[in-house]
Amino acid sequence: MLKILIRRELLDNLMTFRFAAVLLITLLLVVANTVVLIQDYEQRLKSYNDSVKRHQQELRNSKTYSTAFLFVNRAPNPLSIFNAGLDKRLGNYIGIYHGFMPTLWDARMHGTDNPFIAFFSSIDIVFVFEVILSLMGLIFAYDAIAGERERGTLRLVLAQPIGRGQILLAKYISTMACLLVPLILSLLFALLLLTRSMPLSTADFLRIAGIVLTSFAYLSVFYLIGLLISVATRRTGTALMLAMFIWGFLILVYPNLIRATVSPGGDIQARVKTAHNQIQQILNEYERERQKFLETEGIAGESSEFSKALGFYHQADVNPVTLTTYIENMSVISEIRPDFEKYVPVAKRYYNFVEPLAARTVEKAWRVRKQALEEIYVKQATTDRILLKLSPVGIYDAATQAWTGTDLSGLRDFFYAAQRYRKVVIDYLYAKDAFSSREWFVADKGAVDWRTLPAFTFQRSDVGTNAKRALPDLFLLLICNLVLFMAIVLIFIRSEV
Amino acid sequence: MWHIAKRELYDNLNSLRFALATVLLLALMLTNAVLYLREHPKRTQAYHNAAAGAIKTLESRSTSLYRLATEGPGDMHKAPSPLRFCAEGDEAFLPTHAGGANYGRRIANMTPIWRMFYPQKTPNLFNIRPDFTTLDWAFIVGYVLSFIAILFTFDSISGELERGTLRLTLANAIPRHIVLVGKFLGAFISVNIPFAVAVLMNLILISTSDAVQLNAEAWGRLGILYGIVILYTCLFIALGLLISAAVRESGVSLVVLLLIWVSFVVFMPNTLASIGSRTSVPIAYEEFWVRRMQLADAAREAYRNKYGDSQTTPSVHVLGEYVTSEAEENEDYNEAYLKLQIEQGKRARAITRISPTAIVQRLFESFAGTGFERHLQFIENVQRYARQYREFVIDTDRADPESLHVVGIQEGMSQKPVSPEAIPKFKDTLNLNRDFNTAATDLLLLVLFLMVIASGAYLAFVRLEI
Repeated sequence: MLKILIRRELLDNLMTFRFAAVLLITLLLVVANTVVLIQDYEQRLKSYNDSVKRHQQELRNSKTYSTAFLFVNRAPNPLSIFNAGLDKRLGNYIGIYHGFMPTLWDARMHGTDNPFIAFFSSIDIVFVFEVILSLMGLIFAYDAIAGERERGTLRLVLAQPIGRGQILLAKYISTMACLLVPLILSLLFALLLLTRSMPLSTADFLRIAGIVLTSFAYLSVFYLIGLLISVATRRTGTALMLAMFIWGFLILVYPNLIRATVSPGGDIQARVKTAHNQIQQILNEYERERQKFLETEGIAGESSEFSKALGFYHQADVNPVTLTTYIENMSVISEIRPDFEKYVPVAKRYYNFVEPLAARTVEKAWRVRKQALEEIYVKQATTDRILLKLSPVGIYDAATQAWTGTDLSGLRDFFYAAQRYRKVVIDYLYAKDAFSSREWFVADKGAVDWRTLPAFTFQRSDVGTNAKRALPDLFLLLICNLVLFMAIVLIFIRSEV
Repeated sequence: MWHIAKRELYDNLNSLRFALATVLLLALMLTNAVLYLREHPKRTQAYHNAAAGAIKTLESRSTSLYRLATEGPGDMHKAPSPLRFCAEGDEAFLPTHAGGANYGRRIANMTPIWRMFYPQKTPNLFNIRPDFTTLDWAFIVGYVLSFIAILFTFDSISGELERGTLRLTLANAIPRHIVLVGKFLGAFISVNIPFAVAVLMNLILISTSDAVQLNAEAWGRLGILYGIVILYTCLFIALGLLISAAVRESGVSLVVLLLIWVSFVVFMPNTLASIGSRTSVPIAYEEFWVRRMQLADAAREAYRNKYGDSQTTPSVHVLGEYVTSEAEENEDYNEAYLKLQIEQGKRARAITRISPTAIVQRLFESFAGTGFERHLQFIENVQRYARQYREFVIDTDRADPESLHVVGIQEGMSQKPVSPEAIPKFKDTLNLNRDFNTAATDLLLLVLFLMVIASGAYLAFVRLEI
């Protein structure tokens, strides 16, 4: 009996004009946007490669350790085509040196865009699905029960020896099977285009499978919302209007409304100021120790002969907004005049004292800064995302971002890798005795050889981690499904035909 | 006809959709007003502070004409539009000032002359909060109101056809086009009532607040904006009638309408703009910066080759010519780059004109005085002022008979003090006439769209078999 019902529903749905229209438009939108997105990705990849090359060149041109420019670049994520997330928005290269802790808040951007077209956001595949799948789910559901009730066929079906739950199940299975066709078909087309222009690994395919699964759960939520409306109302007209306005509210209005109205708390500036003062004190302490060293060596003073001999450039500062803390200490000279040669031993001692101190100071400041940044920026972003999750769109977006690795944690992984790399570089400098070497400040007797420096590598998190980040949201979607389905069954069983 | 319109109207007023539309539009418009009243005073304050600071800096340079000639007029700030609640535009991405200053590389021991430069707004690269669209009028009209218009019209013909009431109506001695116009009017009025109420609430909130003063011109602009809203709703109502008559089945007509709506309203503007802007990519800002420096270096190199080391000073006239030409060359380069960017922006916007929503977004921006067109106006104002400022310096110098009239060199210029009041000050203005000019094409296109769709609806309805 169930089989017959499913077959009937399936044929009913497949043969309709609305099915053909939905299929066509989904394919069209997904394919058109994929083409645009692939071009965009390729452009970003080119910009990345250029930047890597430029930075390698810059490093090779750095003759001394103290004036070296070491940068690491963040490659564009190929899966950002599915959900761009934060991948395009956050900075994509960052400096690495001992007097600076690289974080998400300090990164810079290569290949900056034209401000006059920044307004147009490129649409990713998940966005297309967000809009189209939800609309599809509702359109196919609103008259599922209410329509049959109006036509009177529901009564006929129920006259058969069949449970009401089974009718719902049959409707659910058949319509979902139908709706999967545009979803899967358009994804296949997108994959076809993708694999032609970029190599995707097995892990990437698993991630895409995760996205498909999440999309399915999302689609199902909206189908069930539609079914709930259909069960609860007696007329298709009412069901339709309710469904459409709920759609407009959940997709168009709510995400923008909530983001616009929730304003960051008022004490943020005070929090930044406190952290700023704390870090400033840490820097002052560093400066005191530095001055003490200079005095005991008898070389203090900006205009001292020592300072002139070495072409000193010294700066230690903290940014009042992002709390970026850095200590720069370098010599901008190409050679040491023979009469200043006597300062070389003291210069070696100076750098050997001050550079490790700078590294320690920055690490100390980072502990203060990390806490402040978490409290100010990360907490705010997390609250936003939690509020967004009151609409299924928010959950879907968060889950797919987690799968693609373009969510906040995915991007922070890169900056953690940059921080680890900073440690590697410092260890390398220690191993080479670089701080107390002549090459630290002058290259007149041999330049620095950078070839032995370990290269920076960053692997995006593995599928397991992606899954771990995405599963809570996926489960949330599934819970929504279950709750909705139970509500539908309850209402349908108690309703009069 | 009025009878039909009235019947439609009563039908709609009592319906669920009318209530839902009213609630939705009211909520959106009130949020819009509240957000605007929260943000706008801060923006105006920031602008006034910045502009006053710029004037102060400029007046402090009045100690000598030479300082005015080399250090330049300083920063010029863009005045925020009081109608920003109508269209936020891309203001968030656009720079709020342009400048004229002599920053950059020092050339051969001389202070360079100021030149115009157009800074790029550094985007907030640590913004980790989720994306969102501003709830301005342009969004409420472009997305929500068009959606509501579709929901009010998708069954206006097909529904009656299904119920059989259309046959009854047409059995009376009423021509078909009258029926159509009546339906159109009915739907139009019933969509406009909730919107008008919401707009009134919004404007009451904004105009009663002390923080914002809307002048007569602003009200005029609001009137024009309302006219655009009317055109736009007419467009979607006509579209609804067209599909409703052509498809005959309400269910199908809704699906078709929604799909058209989704493609034209949600996807087309962004996708088309990305395609349009891809046609040519000007060099990245970083690269532009590097090339500019190279240009300055090349000029210096050329000078050194000609006159040797800077220690041996040639005549004042040679020096004057050198600093002037260096500044000019640099400024030309800045302007050429800006032009490239603007061209790309224009291309991206031109191609989006296929979508009426993009047209309305642009129209809203031009009449609200925000966004791209407004920025172009600002740049024009800035460039006009720069010319005026240059002329002022030259004229003041000419008025002094003791001067050698070599601008940019201390010894070659008038040594007399300049009165701070006499220096021209930059004032950013909005020009309604110009807005009309830039918007004329868009308005005409919108009307054209409306006419095509309306005649389509007429044809479909007249040929409809009942």
